[in-house]
Amino acid sequence: MPRSAPLAAHHFEALGTTCSLFAVGLAPDRLLEGELWTRRMGERLTRFSPDSELSHFNASAGRWVEVSPELEALLRESLHAYELSGGLVNVAVLPSMTAIGYTTSLSAGRSVATLAEMRPAPALPDVLETKGGAARLEPGAGIDLGGIAKGWMADRLRESLGPNAVANLGGDLSAGGVGPDGAGWPIGLAGVTVLLRDRSAATSSVRRRRWGELHHLIDPRTGAPARTGLDEVSVIAASGVEAETIAKTALLLGPEVAPVYCAAFALAWWLSP
Amino acid sequence: MRAAALKIGATALTVATTMLSALYVTSHLKNPAAPLQPTVLRSSSGSTVAGPGGTLTLGPSVQPSDVQPVTSTYAS
Repeated sequence: MPRSAPLAAHHFEALGTTCSLFAVGLAPDRLLEGELWTRRMGERLTRFSPDSELSHFNASAGRWVEVSPELEALLRESLHAYELSGGLVNVAVLPSMTAIGYTTSLSAGRSVATLAEMRPAPALPDVLETKGGAARLEPGAGIDLGGIAKGWMADRLRESLGPNAVANLGGDLSAGGVGPDGAGWPIGLAGVTVLLRDRSAATSSVRRRRWGELHHLIDPRTGAPARTGLDEVSVIAASGVEAETIAKTALLLGPEVAPVYCAAFALAWWLSP
Repeated sequence: MRAAALKIGATALTVATTMLSALYVTSHLKNPAAPLQPTVLRSSSGSTVAGPGGTLTLGPSVQPSDVQPVTSTYAS
């Protein structure tokens, strides 16, 4: 199908990474609105700022507090991801994140690691409850939304950009519609181009955001940075949250079980030892 | 007398209905060789390519392309 409308693209730095928005037949200022929305959500969902909604929620552990519809949706998605992953995707790993010194954005450096404080994460449904605009954390628990937030935001952003658009938030991407040429959006996956329509992709890796022997991907079973024999997994799935969940789960399962798990839940996958 | 006639009539009607139903069913047996409607298309089982950096598997619903990608998934 010949291209009937121009392809608009917009790139910017946010969420500690590079973000890209693409849309067919959309005015450039709509993409700029997408950037502003991304920044606003990032400011509300970051754990690096004590003034963010997520930080306030973490600080209110032990009591029910009102949460925004967006944070409530993300907490529910986190509980769903926990179930889909058999407990391997667990946003309650914040205490271990703090223990390894990952307390600020990478550009700001890290604090001193206190590895003795690493501990297995509690079962998420045991420490997180949500109901009609409110949520509650058990005392001592803490939430780091991590890639779940990026996958969820990519899906919402793509929906807001119209029927034929892509949102890529640092590798967590969502593609909707038939793309610029009508055959699907050409998306790179492990060096190969694939055509995506109404699909999402995500990559989970221990090759980035690492320092020395430590990295950011915590295995909730041990509370320590994961060492499973897989260093990177990319996945295509129905939604951004699912892609993120499946990719991280596969990486944590390791090279023996990951192919079987991916065959059951993913549409395409890249496993790199 | 009238009650007996009603009972006999009801019994006869039941027996007749049962026999007619049995005849209908046996004359309309399902044909196991009948073609599926609509036709079920044969699906691809996908493809797996192993390289030095890892293994890439594309399911049947994901089509590869030679087009330059507009963007990629990557670790960040």
